[in-house]
Amino acid sequence: MSQNSMEHSVDERLRAAVLQAFEADGQIAPLNLRVGVLNGIAHLAGCAPSTDVWAAAGQVAASIPGVRGVVNRIAAPGAPSPARTVNLNLENK
Amino acid sequence: MSTLTSCPPYELQRLARAKNVLDRVRHFAELPDEVRAAIAGAAIPRHFEAGQVIYLEGEPATALYILESGWVKATRMSPEGREQAMLFLKSGEIFGDVAVFTDTSYPGTVVALEPVNVWVIQKSAILELVARYPELAQAVIRRLGERVLYYVGLVEDLSLRSVEARLANTLLKHAEMSGGRLAVPRRAWTTFDEMATRLGTVRDVLSRALRTLDDEGLLRVERHEIVILDPHGLAARGNL
Repeated sequence: MSQNSMEHSVDERLRAAVLQAFEADGQIAPLNLRVGVLNGIAHLAGCAPSTDVWAAAGQVAASIPGVRGVVNRIAAPGAPSPARTVNLNLENK
Repeated sequence: MSTLTSCPPYELQRLARAKNVLDRVRHFAELPDEVRAAIAGAAIPRHFEAGQVIYLEGEPATALYILESGWVKATRMSPEGREQAMLFLKSGEIFGDVAVFTDTSYPGTVVALEPVNVWVIQKSAILELVARYPELAQAVIRRLGERVLYYVGLVEDLSLRSVEARLANTLLKHAEMSGGRLAVPRRAWTTFDEMATRLGTVRDVLSRALRTLDDEGLLRVERHEIVILDPHGLAARGNL
């Protein structure tokens, strides 16, 4: 198995874990948020009703072991634009 | 014949609109009518508002997209956490194709910069069409080949050229004649952050590069546009 396909498979497992954690969360599950994971970084999209839920989704994704960072592009009233440029500080992760 | 006459008017309108979009897609416009009709038949229209995510990097690739109107940007996060612009796409461009044809997840995130209309073709449908029509397969190969060449250029740019040189080339590429002068219009979404992402750098470095080129008399930064004062000088700067 090449390094790329190994990383791909790790990312797929992380994505499944994030989706499972969302499914288990009463306030996040009904939102059917979208999740992608690449290089251990979770990318989120969809709509949330408030910045609290927006932040909660980010925290749930970040809490999954192996997730090195979260790019939260979920749209919510008062939340930053999903289209903004995002740079993460991943030192030591 | 009976199929066409039994089609409801809205379906005929949908097919005509889809074919009209295909006429603007490089390499697809020359395809035989039968192939274009089959592609149009498989395409589903969708609308995205400015700022909406069309797909995320690392999401399973389920469809490819043909852009009918509006601008979108494709970005990718480096393993170090820095966002890099991969492509800015306008009407008549296809995206999502690389992941669909390589059976991987999407390699980048695509976001609508304006209200956009796209036509979505599900992965299973496009793979079936490619298997059925060799002309379509050839068009797809040509498109993917061009995309490879584009990325070779991007890698060369990012690894071998200075920020000033990349900026000079990008400005010349996007400059338009307006009111008798050569200028790069600043669209609502063309912020300094966006430009920095496009050039593979950060805002502070971009600001310094703009100041340097301004001081050299090559351009002038105005509120709504960047005016090119010396195109030849800027072109020479782009080769450094």
